[in-house]
Amino acid sequence: MTSNRPDFNFKSSSSTSSRNSDNINTQIRNVDLQPSSSQLSIQSNSWRHSSNLGSRGVRHGSRSGVDSEGFSMSRKEIEIDDDDARLVYVNNPVKTNESFEFSGNSIRTGKYSVITFLPRNLFEQFHRVAYLYFLIIAILNQLPQLAVFGRGASIFPLASVLFVTAVKDGYEDWRRHKSDKIENNRMSYVLVNDRFRQKKCKDIQVGEVVKVSADETIPCDIVLLSTSDPTGVAYIQTINLDGESNLKTRYAKQETLSRVPEKDIISGLIKCEKPNRNIYGFQGNMEIDGKRVSLGPSNIILRGCVIKNTDWAVGVVVYAGRETKAMLNNSGAPSKRSRLETHMNQEIMLLSFFLVTLCVVVSACAGVWLKRHQDELDIMPFYRRKDYSEGQVENYNYYGLGMEIFFTFLMSVIVFQIMIPISLYISMELVRVGQAYFMIRDDKMYDATSNTRFQCRALNINEDLGQIKYVFSDKTGTLTENKMEFQFASISGVDYSGEKTEFYGEEGGYSIQVDGQIWKPKMKVQVDPNLLKLSKSRNDTKSSKDIYDFFLALAACNTIVPIVANTSNPNEKLIDYQGESPDEQALVYAAAAYGFMLIERTSGHIVIDIQGERQRFNVLGMHEFDSDRKRMSVILGYPDSTVKVFVKGADTTMFKVIDESLNLDVVRATETHLHSYSSIGLRTLVVGARALSVSEFDTWQTSYEIASTALMGRAGLLRKVAINLENNLSLLGASAIEDRLQKGVPEAIESLRKANIKVWVLTGDKQETAISIGYSSKLLTSKMTQIVINNNSKMTCQRSLEDALIISRKLINVTHASEDDASSVALIIDGTSLVYILDSDLEEQLFELASKCAVVLCCRVAPLQKAGIVALIKNRTDDMTLAIGDGANDVSMIQMADVGVGISGQEGRQAVMASDFAMGQFRFLVPLLLVHGHWNYQRMAYMILYNFYRNALFVLVLFWYVLYTGFTLTTAITEWSSVLYSIIYTAIPTIVIGILDKDLSRKLLMTYPQLYGSGQRKESYNVKLFWVTMADTLWQSVIAFFIPVLAYWKSDIDSSSLGDLWTLAVVFMVNIHLAMDVIRWTWISHASIWGSIIATCICVVIIDAIPVLPGYWAIFYLASSGLFWVCLAGILIASMIPRFIVKMFMQHCKPCDIQIAREAEKFRNSMEITRSGEIEMNR
Amino acid sequence: MKTYYYSLLQPILFLPQITNADMNPVTNGALKSKKTSKKPEYSRFTQQELPAWKPILTPGWVITSFLAIAFLFIPIGLVSLFASERVVEIVYRYDQDCVPEMYRGNVSAYIRNSLTNKTCIGNITVPKKMDPPIFVYYQLDNFYQNHRRYVKSRSDKQLRSAAYESSTKECEPEARFNKSGDPVPIVPCGLIAWSLFNDTYNLIKKDKVLNINKKGIAWKSDTKVKFGSNVYPKNFQSNDLIGGGKLNESIPLSKQEDLIVWMRTAALPTFRKLYGKINTSLEAHDTITVVLENNYNTYSFGGQKKLVLSTTSWIGGKNDFLGIAYLTVGGICLFMALNFILLYVFKPRPLGDPSYLSWNRKAVN
Repeated sequence: MTSNRPDFNFKSSSSTSSRNSDNINTQIRNVDLQPSSSQLSIQSNSWRHSSNLGSRGVRHGSRSGVDSEGFSMSRKEIEIDDDDARLVYVNNPVKTNESFEFSGNSIRTGKYSVITFLPRNLFEQFHRVAYLYFLIIAILNQLPQLAVFGRGASIFPLASVLFVTAVKDGYEDWRRHKSDKIENNRMSYVLVNDRFRQKKCKDIQVGEVVKVSADETIPCDIVLLSTSDPTGVAYIQTINLDGESNLKTRYAKQETLSRVPEKDIISGLIKCEKPNRNIYGFQGNMEIDGKRVSLGPSNIILRGCVIKNTDWAVGVVVYAGRETKAMLNNSGAPSKRSRLETHMNQEIMLLSFFLVTLCVVVSACAGVWLKRHQDELDIMPFYRRKDYSEGQVENYNYYGLGMEIFFTFLMSVIVFQIMIPISLYISMELVRVGQAYFMIRDDKMYDATSNTRFQCRALNINEDLGQIKYVFSDKTGTLTENKMEFQFASISGVDYSGEKTEFYGEEGGYSIQVDGQIWKPKMKVQVDPNLLKLSKSRNDTKSSKDIYDFFLALAACNTIVPIVANTSNPNEKLIDYQGESPDEQALVYAAAAYGFMLIERTSGHIVIDIQGERQRFNVLGMHEFDSDRKRMSVILGYPDSTVKVFVKGADTTMFKVIDESLNLDVVRATETHLHSYSSIGLRTLVVGARALSVSEFDTWQTSYEIASTALMGRAGLLRKVAINLENNLSLLGASAIEDRLQKGVPEAIESLRKANIKVWVLTGDKQETAISIGYSSKLLTSKMTQIVINNNSKMTCQRSLEDALIISRKLINVTHASEDDASSVALIIDGTSLVYILDSDLEEQLFELASKCAVVLCCRVAPLQKAGIVALIKNRTDDMTLAIGDGANDVSMIQMADVGVGISGQEGRQAVMASDFAMGQFRFLVPLLLVHGHWNYQRMAYMILYNFYRNALFVLVLFWYVLYTGFTLTTAITEWSSVLYSIIYTAIPTIVIGILDKDLSRKLLMTYPQLYGSGQRKESYNVKLFWVTMADTLWQSVIAFFIPVLAYWKSDIDSSSLGDLWTLAVVFMVNIHLAMDVIRWTWISHASIWGSIIATCICVVIIDAIPVLPGYWAIFYLASSGLFWVCLAGILIASMIPRFIVKMFMQHCKPCDIQIAREAEKFRNSMEITRSGEIEMNR
Repeated sequence: MKTYYYSLLQPILFLPQITNADMNPVTNGALKSKKTSKKPEYSRFTQQELPAWKPILTPGWVITSFLAIAFLFIPIGLVSLFASERVVEIVYRYDQDCVPEMYRGNVSAYIRNSLTNKTCIGNITVPKKMDPPIFVYYQLDNFYQNHRRYVKSRSDKQLRSAAYESSTKECEPEARFNKSGDPVPIVPCGLIAWSLFNDTYNLIKKDKVLNINKKGIAWKSDTKVKFGSNVYPKNFQSNDLIGGGKLNESIPLSKQEDLIVWMRTAALPTFRKLYGKINTSLEAHDTITVVLENNYNTYSFGGQKKLVLSTTSWIGGKNDFLGIAYLTVGGICLFMALNFILLYVFKPRPLGDPSYLSWNRKAVN
């Protein structure tokens, strides 16, 4: 069973020696960086056993990162129930598929076929509430009593939206079908009648045996039977599955690996789990030759993986087609709802309330009117309740007062339907698509090193990026590059951390000669000249031997696979070390630089070139990394048949298995070195070794074999075997690996802090490392007061928190006058304390403390704790949270936060898969939030308010007219105009402005991160603005309606002409209103705003040129009268004046930051801006 | 659990992603192998750096725009008021006076009885000289020609072409006439046509009949296109209940201008419709005798009937509203311009002064 992510395990669980941390705990000291600095530490008296650090089963104190996620495999080995199992008869597809119908291997990612397209597509489209609303209104309108609009006009909007969506879906599906076809018709070799024959991919069945050659893609999920490697190893690349580019190893079982399927027919029965989505887990067993062999995730190769470095591999199909794990993981993007939209929905409720009010008013008035004219209705010329045309007189279209009122109500709902801005949802989606387009194509968020663009995975929370108040960041791989570089070594108590020279010795680093060719490691490592000299001089001194063992351990004790790659120079080859852990890679490259070059690894042996001399070691056994032991070991058989075990792991667990009595001084010296390494932010590992006597080896081997073939609890047994072996080690030394800060991280954090965003770092690293990274990333400054909490009981935690609260209050009170760094408090808290605090009543206190702190650093936290910390803030405040991380351990946090950002870095794609946005570098967070987030928020907020206004204005104009028509819902505006109003007349400009308008330039937003505050303060969308907008709407509607009514009172105006006047007036008003708020006029904004006014005029002309419509030619008569133009101009000016006055007044007297910044940008030269910016910084 | 997520336009954005990432994990291996730089191509559009005009309304501009509106609106207002002032309008309400005393208690019996004498005579005085053309209107009050039932009750197809004679679906209850058990379509059908206004006016000035020209009172577009020249009235007002005027069955609809005017339904419950034009001028203090047939029943719903003689101007009839509105708006703008001048003088704010930024203000406080 391979531990899937050793790198991350190191990260999350390596911890300092208890003695070291105790040192820190028990004193209050000044950090020696600045005289003014102070570090307060809360004392904890009880002795801490770091070994049982995370193992207390409190909810957020997860045992290990691996277990906490659905992505990871489960350690439990359960016997598979026959009912829940899938039975696969190896090489017997007929029998396999006899009793159960397993899916064939053809895949269909396409959703529809020609026949199912229409119904299924419609069904899916109507999942949107907006469409249902449209549909219900359209259906209501079809009832003869309620037919407000003609049939065409009522269905048109819905039909057009449905049609566009269907075309888009159809096209998309056609593309999928095409790729499916290519995929299904690929050829692969399948064992048929004892020979491998070519077969189309889609015809492969479960139970068949397939053969895959190097660089081929696996067509379905197969259990490995044998490979070209005699030990049954196959190397695979899973880039298509999880994005990780490194090679992983998969093993064929001992029992099958020697069989060649063509000759030696394998028949057996595989019992395995039902298909599931977990790509990191697989359980099953295989009955072969009467023996039961268990199968785990290391025995299965999944569809989509590529075979590398292995000539061929043979396996039996267990899952095919849509039941493969790759296909089961084929799901959509995460769905979140933005904060703005949630707020907006409250206002939508208000609008619905307005709508109902309008409808109630209309129906009540209609009722009163009918009641008052009850006696006259029969023959009233414009009502005519009775129909006299037939023999007997009967009511015509009159259903009694109650029903009439009810029908009026429904009809008014139909007429006023756009009060609920249903089109807004569609516009918002379009705008978000446009915004995402620009975010993706922003060349300032393109990462050249990993060749990745920014990715928008969630489409509906763009605007949330403009309101973030908390950023929770992972450290490794997020703040740092996660490109490990070997820095220092401490070998048997001697610290080799002297001056480094570039690639000492030969030009271009260390290399070896193989068959006349030069082989070089792919990555160059800076070396310590002293150490290099020592490692080269091979004499029998103790220190030389230690150095030899140390580097041998680095080269051997890992799971790295060397891959020899060609270069452009035929005489030169590069050795590329592929492995799952960047730490291990760095160590192997380091060993190579010092002359211990790993050049070959199979499961049985390794070949190491030691100072030009090739040596072959047998790998007799390997105990892989697990997060309980926090170490791994390898048992090497030397050429002279001595056996040694090498162990490498985190200092906490290593010092417990090192025999200190052997050389106490060395141990003490190494501990000092470790402490100094970690305090400058390096990641440390301790290496130990022990020679095994023959009897020891034999005992180990027997128990190892028993354990590794055990069916039940294999992992536990293996762990026990490992623990028995890994003891009384002699300390070889320790290594220090640097994980460099990513480019621009300090500047980015500085910007975020200025933008009043609190940055919390949650890391699995130890405290010293975390603090030193904190300093180098400018998260911590020397002026800050640090509060450190690390305790291991609830009582002490409580006391610490109380003390810390008192201190922080005092500090904030003392320095209240001058708000600068001196008063800010940094909280440093570790995972153990969090175990006691989270999910208890202490949480409240922690929250209070944390919200007072400018910076919070959480170290040694488990993945679920990360989510717990995010939840701490999210559940207690209204503030928006953003989590950013790159590894599987950040997934829970990313999903918990309002906005999750994944860094597509070294640690695979799990974080990216769970995230809403993904990018290459931490520093892109600054343009993402400060620039795009700001823009998105401003645009979306404005767009929502504008859409409310736009629709309400139209509805109110309709409403006022209803009051003059006997409350009968006649619309002077033609039904086609009311339908086209939100589709053509006014739709485009708001979308274009929502995508393109920029209130401030990128440069300005980046120079003044404080401008981000407008989003945090919800300046662009709040309840007050909503009411102001509605008041403005009311005024504008009154102007738009009553000016024509009073101007045309007692005239011979007909309703079509007046309707045209209203149509034009409202559309002009709405567009002028928008034009008044547009900040940046590009040709596109001009085109859309003036274009839609022109389009409206054209549409009105066209509608009035249709002879069968009652308004035939009205617009021409209307436009030829002076009164019309005077009315129109009057409406436009009178309606905009209050808005203009208020806007100008606010602009002058209460200018918002954005306003001032705009002015500054335009009227002050750039010198001045930057100068004032500098003053700002010095303050 | 598969999360259901459906987004309208996702594919536009994600077309590259559909092939590369999640959609089909197998084929994308081939696509990925040719590794090209994914660096977004630079264009001013994609980087949102299109050249743009960024207007900012400075105090100068604000004052200028207020003044501009004021100086534009006040003259227009004055001109409109002047034009409205020049319009001469005579309104003569006759619906009550023209009911004989004996019928005042039971008006509907009088008006619905076809045998009663409906002729009524009245006098009006011309206040000012009226230049031709003088428009003769009838004005109805409280008549909802925009009532939903009423507006919809017409068949534009039928009016336009004889071929659609029987398309009377929308016209109920005035769609068909039961001609001896066989329902035949009414042309023109519907309530609008049925309720055709049928009061007639004769104007006599000094014993000379004033000629009221009833040609050309309807829109040309209506007579030419909307009302067919081959459509003749049929079965009109043949049902028991007669709503209003009758039509000469030998004249095609396109020539029935009274009907055409009537069928262009009024927008508001108080409306005028053109009855005819007088092409001679009327002098001030002329007394005109109106001889009218008071046929039309507005009594059943309390409607008023008025005869209106009016000249026109470029602004239409007599209506002071727009002039006043323009003057008000212009005045407000002038007032605001002054206010803003005072504001900018007494409480100036340098544009783009960083000290007004919220974070700087906080620091000062």
